[in-house]
Amino acid sequence: MDGVHDLGGREGFGPVRDKDDDQPFHSEWETCAFGMTQSSAGGEGWSIDWFRHCRELIPPVDYLTRPYFDQWITTVAAQMIDAGYLTLDEIKAGVSTFTAQPAYPPKTTEASRAFVKNPKSYAIQSDVSPRYAAGDAVRCRLSGHPGHTRMPGYVRGHLGVVHAHHGAHIMPDASVRGEKRGEHLYTLRFSASELWPEAKASRDRVFVDLWESYFDPA
Amino acid sequence: MTSFDSRKLSQIHQELRAQLPSEPALRTKALESLLTEKKLLDAEAIDAWIELYRDEIGPKRGVKVVARAWTDPAYKERLLTDATAAIDEFGFAGHATGHLQAVENTTAVHNLVVCTLCSCYPFSLLGMSPTWYKSNEYRARAVRDPRGVLAEFGVALDDAIEVRVWDSTSERRYLVVPQRPEGVDDWDEGALARLVTRNAMIGTERDLSPHRRRA
Repeated sequence: MDGVHDLGGREGFGPVRDKDDDQPFHSEWETCAFGMTQSSAGGEGWSIDWFRHCRELIPPVDYLTRPYFDQWITTVAAQMIDAGYLTLDEIKAGVSTFTAQPAYPPKTTEASRAFVKNPKSYAIQSDVSPRYAAGDAVRCRLSGHPGHTRMPGYVRGHLGVVHAHHGAHIMPDASVRGEKRGEHLYTLRFSASELWPEAKASRDRVFVDLWESYFDPA
Repeated sequence: MTSFDSRKLSQIHQELRAQLPSEPALRTKALESLLTEKKLLDAEAIDAWIELYRDEIGPKRGVKVVARAWTDPAYKERLLTDATAAIDEFGFAGHATGHLQAVENTTAVHNLVVCTLCSCYPFSLLGMSPTWYKSNEYRARAVRDPRGVLAEFGVALDDAIEVRVWDSTSERRYLVVPQRPEGVDDWDEGALARLVTRNAMIGTERDLSPHRRRA
């Protein structure tokens, strides 16, 4: 989707702030919001992609201005309302009016520890041979599509080179609809001079992980 | 049932925006109590997550990995080949590091990591990401004006040094292996580890020489 979350290369932003801030959390509600988001019950077909997409759908002004962990719990609330596990009226009243039957129970302490220690793989078997190999010249597709995608807007229509092939990984654009299927994943490299009009003399490069259907042979 | 319907989610967000308390602490409290009452949340698990990321997991893990890479060429080779396996020699593989790639700074190359689309970060190796890493400013500018961003962090790069920006758009995550500073040839791994910073492992710091750090 062409959302405000797709920030790469957007102009008009000022200096990076809070560069010396070393604290991961700044108040009790932030630590709580972090723990809640990581351990709450889950719904059928939920994935990291569905979570990301639901965060992308936060109204643009809020996406750009509300605190980070506030966006996390607001996203959790929206997902749970969507799945029918709670209602807005319940949140407002602070009272449960029915028993929810989540597809996946909330993580216990033990399950949380196990999750944190598990280097989850997103690699997935694919019967399709990879179309590209390192060194191939490719051009990213010119348009995205509604819904979730991991192709950032700033590479659309631009020429890149396949830097590495990583086998098939779960395809986010399908996973966001609850479909678990693989597609070949590559790292593409782009010259800054190709991406940005003011960087014609630059030798710098940008490396982006992109799935096979995001680009075509150049 | 999950709708997987963008328009429905958008509508829910509009309603939440209009009706939930604006204050984040109040919003969090309201949700925490309701989720707990509805057994959609185990209050003890919240504490487990906080403890894990306060006590066990943080940049102190990454600095050990970098110091090992600086002192053990065979380890460095393994780190650059398969970083997930290499950090797991320390037991550090886990949350968001299932597909980790280490990228090495050299005299000719400086690496910088960003997530322009959200906030992807190698949690089990570096802990929670700093606020600036998740900021609109960093996400917007790191890919387009990396040298400007680096200058704000005090990193002045010669034009001859190539900047490589890594945008974390898939489940792959990146660790920058900074250059071992000069003049510390006789330092052991533990002493070297104290020179390594979180920012250096993201790429917003470059020179880790002890002289500079005292300055």
